[in-house]
Amino acid sequence: MTVQATRLAPFFLTAPAGRLHCQYVAPLGAARGGVLYVHPFAEESNKSRRMAIEQARALAAEGWGVLMPDLTGCGDSSGDFGDATWQVWLDDIALARNWLQRELPQPIWFWGLRLGALLAGELLAAEPANVQGLLLWQPVLSGRQQLQQFLRLKSGAEWVAGAAASTTGAALPGPLQILESGRSVEVAGYSVHPQLAAGMSLATLALPPATCRLACFEVNPNLQPELTPAIRRWLSTEPTRLNAVVAAVQGPSFWQTQEIEMAPSLIDATTRIFAA
Amino acid sequence: MSTTGNYVRTLLDDVLSLQGRALNFADDTPLLGAIPELDSMAVVSLITAIEQHFGLALADDEIDGSVFATVGSLVALVDRALAS
Repeated sequence: MTVQATRLAPFFLTAPAGRLHCQYVAPLGAARGGVLYVHPFAEESNKSRRMAIEQARALAAEGWGVLMPDLTGCGDSSGDFGDATWQVWLDDIALARNWLQRELPQPIWFWGLRLGALLAGELLAAEPANVQGLLLWQPVLSGRQQLQQFLRLKSGAEWVAGAAASTTGAALPGPLQILESGRSVEVAGYSVHPQLAAGMSLATLALPPATCRLACFEVNPNLQPELTPAIRRWLSTEPTRLNAVVAAVQGPSFWQTQEIEMAPSLIDATTRIFAA
Repeated sequence: MSTTGNYVRTLLDDVLSLQGRALNFADDTPLLGAIPELDSMAVVSLITAIEQHFGLALADDEIDGSVFATVGSLVALVDRALAS
């Protein structure tokens, strides 16, 4: 087990909306290829940052260069979250991909956590060239489901405040209707652009092309974790797919826990794929 | 203790980072207002985790503050949803 320190090199990419803050974890020893990390949505990206960095370090120790951009309006990138749209984020990832593909010659891996999996999957489907694998952590399969769960934070505030369940009559549109009418909605301190909501609502995760390796992990606190029915259904559309590793590992839902938590079994399982 | 009760306690413990304390909660252990970690974000995470684990889609009008009053009221919500 190497104890060499991995190098974290932050830099900025110039994007149409401004500057994208990127963290590059350089590979140790001979480079085997690049991995492009796509972070999850809103608070999930903050809560999971430590896990992502630790995984990136583990991959770098196996010879993989890991690029971790902050999407527009997120982390240390320029722009407000409220200005981000689905297409802007796809363009951000494409920009980061171009950088990575200039940096290392081998076909890359996309690595997406939660909504990041949807974004990575969409870009991969649009431009599959030069991608050798798709690594999914707890993937969101339906952007619409994630959007509705996020918008529910507004109701959550009412439940905690003890207000009666809000009955939205015709005079009081819910957040989804407001977005569909072309206006932004403020939820839990985040302003959601109608074009972000629209793009998210249409996004569903597609299985990558047959030539692309697939590694998909779900994390579950149960001692004997099982894959969710949703993921099983998603995979069942291609039951004879050969180059796929799909597993449930035991650990906390680190992208949403109150305290920052780690899931070492997820890191072990993931690193094994890249060490082979 | 029913299996649903066990799962709900595990999800509670996981979402609120209670380090195993929730596993020993009684059915009448108070939640909302008694556990500071249970804020509006945690409440939504909890409902989401319950939905994803049990394969449920809970309508917002099935849920209000009283559902989170005790462990028992939360388990009752899940049992109702599973039975329907």
